[in-house]
Amino acid sequence: MGAVYEDRFADIEPLLSRVEKPTRYLDHEWGALASAEARYRVCLIYPDVYEVGLPNQGLQILYRVLNREGGISCERGYVPWVDMADAMRGAGVPLLSLEGAAPVASFDLVGFHIPHEMAATNYLEALDLAGIPLLASERGEDDPIVVAGGPSVYNPEPIAPFFDAFLIGEGEESIVEVARTHERLRDAGASRDEVLRGLAQVPGTYVPSLYEVEYGPDTTRWGATVPRAGEDVPEVVLKRVVDDFGATDPVPQTVVPFAQLVHDRLSVEVLRGCARGCRFCQAGITYRPVRERSADQVVSAVCRGLERTGYDEVSLTSLSTTDHSACAEILGRLNRRLADTGVQVSIPSQRLDSFGVRMAEAVAGEKKGGLTFAPEAGSQRMRDIINKNVTEEDLDRAVTAAIEAGWRRCKLYFMMGLPGETDEDIVAIARLADHVLELARSVAGKGQRGAISVSISVAVFIPKAWTPFQWCAQLDDAEVKRRQQLLLHSVRNRAVRVHYHDADTSLIEAVLSRGGRDLAPVILGAWRRGQRFDAWTEQFDLARWEAAAKEAAIDLRAVAHEEFDHAARLPWDHVTPGVLKGFLEREWKRALSGVTTADCTRESCTGCGICPALGTGNHLAGERS
Amino acid sequence: MSEETLYKLRVRYRKQGRLRYLGHLEVAHTWDRAVRRAGLPFAVTQGFSPHMRIAFSSALPVGTASDSEWVDVVLRDYVPAPAALDALARSMPEDLGPLEARYVDVRASALTAFITRADYRVRLEPASGALDAAAVSRALEAVVSAGGIIYLRGRKERSMDVRRTLTGFRATDASSGGVEVLLETHLDNDGALRPEILIAALDRALAPRADDEPIVSSGIQSWRNFGRVAIERIGQYGEGPEGDMTDPAGHASIDIL
Repeated sequence: MGAVYEDRFADIEPLLSRVEKPTRYLDHEWGALASAEARYRVCLIYPDVYEVGLPNQGLQILYRVLNREGGISCERGYVPWVDMADAMRGAGVPLLSLEGAAPVASFDLVGFHIPHEMAATNYLEALDLAGIPLLASERGEDDPIVVAGGPSVYNPEPIAPFFDAFLIGEGEESIVEVARTHERLRDAGASRDEVLRGLAQVPGTYVPSLYEVEYGPDTTRWGATVPRAGEDVPEVVLKRVVDDFGATDPVPQTVVPFAQLVHDRLSVEVLRGCARGCRFCQAGITYRPVRERSADQVVSAVCRGLERTGYDEVSLTSLSTTDHSACAEILGRLNRRLADTGVQVSIPSQRLDSFGVRMAEAVAGEKKGGLTFAPEAGSQRMRDIINKNVTEEDLDRAVTAAIEAGWRRCKLYFMMGLPGETDEDIVAIARLADHVLELARSVAGKGQRGAISVSISVAVFIPKAWTPFQWCAQLDDAEVKRRQQLLLHSVRNRAVRVHYHDADTSLIEAVLSRGGRDLAPVILGAWRRGQRFDAWTEQFDLARWEAAAKEAAIDLRAVAHEEFDHAARLPWDHVTPGVLKGFLEREWKRALSGVTTADCTRESCTGCGICPALGTGNHLAGERS
Repeated sequence: MSEETLYKLRVRYRKQGRLRYLGHLEVAHTWDRAVRRAGLPFAVTQGFSPHMRIAFSSALPVGTASDSEWVDVVLRDYVPAPAALDALARSMPEDLGPLEARYVDVRASALTAFITRADYRVRLEPASGALDAAAVSRALEAVVSAGGIIYLRGRKERSMDVRRTLTGFRATDASSGGVEVLLETHLDNDGALRPEILIAALDRALAPRADDEPIVSSGIQSWRNFGRVAIERIGQYGEGPEGDMTDPAGHASIDIL
């Protein structure tokens, strides 16, 4: 007997007195969809707490798309914080959906969002709370089909055994097909195996149980994944993509939370994809091609969305909003339309030039908090290697313009551990930070010098699948710690604040980014030892991961720190965003010789192969500046 | 903008069901958005960071229900009160929905200053066995005669003055086997009675133990003698212009005891 779909709010109500932030578990927000009556039920789960998951745009899109379908009801779920999870286990209450407060195990389809690698243990935490077997191979006829999708699916192998299927690429293209296929097969009385074979026929769907890992001289130590003998499934699963982005709903967001969240505002996705070609960046490959909404569509969507939600802030989201060909026009029109309404417009990141600063100025009004730039590397040599097409002069102009416009705080993002990095490149980060501080002080002039603050945040480079750096090793964690100290001691000015990422967390992120299917027992072992919410610094404990790896006979550092042979088949070769391996190889060689590659939305095609593979192309609203 | 051109809409609303677990700031936040969704011509404050001119009656503890919460929204244009009420009702989650709306003088004193009386109904269900009203009354008398209830707010010890803030109570046996307690309270700048803390003290007084943990300030308490406690604010009143007790919309007070 499977779990029954019924309202169990009364079971968690007595627990609310014992947990922080009971609002996380309430639902009944404005704009919550889902219907009590449905022939087919989906629960979409974000693998973190409510306030982190609610603003996620990907899930908002799928929630809206599914609830528009007749007969389908889609609800939301989040992972209860550790206090609530423990209280629920103590009281024998399973994981519940939000809208119906129904057991997650009673749904037909349970879909997890995969935001990044560090959510791995939280899938297990959620499945365990739900009472759903953790391994797909152990699920029975009455268990839901458990699928996953999102930005971080391009090496699914480490978490593959936990899911029945992965939706690769833009889920709004395939989620309804997946749900309808399952519904049809379920109603026809198909077995679980038949359902999974049916789902594997939906383009963009990867069903791990129909594939196996083989190890050989032409693979890395972590194997390569191929269809099982006799299975009629694609050798390589190609991502799904929205061809006509302008035809999609620009305001899929409906739920307005009670609690004040970090990203508590209307979000309008103004463009998708980025072709700047930074060689470390996975999103820069996996979100291609570049598709822009028209200025008219964005302006009317913002106004409509504000009316419908009552928000007083709107963010124009994308990977690089200031690259939108109509960015200046959109901001100008919004400023005129929203004058005297107290509505704040924001753009998530600034292009590193004076145009970026002008755009930031257009939305800042009187309030000027901090301005963030991402030079990514300290030396020009290293910026050329990563194809960050930005010079120190660009940064100087941007900082000068920002200070002249009234900003006083500036934050700079960098990475360390990039391929070919030397101690000089680390020192160059410190030099650049010192230089920006001095420049900002001199532009600000007397009397304002003290108000200037510069902080730098230095992440550890993680080699990601389907990037030109996918073969690279991650820098050894002991060496990371040494270079962090070098950086700290190289910054001369004490007014520059230095933040850097934890080397231990970065090690596990690299392991989960580039490992194979045999990492699943390590994730299971870490979770069994109490690991959950790895993305929360205070919850992360490397010792548990190391103990789990030892038990599974996996050397974490071997996974993270070994370079892959360029001729070898990689653990993720069977799931692709459509990029040509030859292009990645070419970009790698250009990186080695410090040759940069232009942005195909501004200059000619770079031959990445994604447009022909997907049968689509860049769709711009105008000429880019 | 001169005050003459502004209108103060006074709205009574509920806080029921699951939404009684919202905190005061979350309720305020939700109201701000609902007023925007309703398309009402709200006034904004002047200054560097303009925000909606909206003001609430005193915070209701997390977990306490109510049908008599109040909010003042200042409008730039006159919208007939029934139309404003309709627009708000369409823009609010049902469990926070508005119940009545009327205009008051834009110079009328703030709700927090006007309201000096709050009535509560507390339904107590026994954890096991039965509760009886007489025992509850006796225990409450004991709590009242002790004068103040000591509780912890964070690490700080506080005292709630029951004798000054509890102006009357009555306990009756409910048909379900529980007890219903009606509380009449007085509030002012020096403090207010917090029913959940009074009930926590009652809980301890019903079955005193040597090893009692101190009462902790929290809207949602864990109980020893009660299986379920439902607290509801059932009326808020102030002194009207003629010295009569009225609610913030001018209705005469109802004597609950």
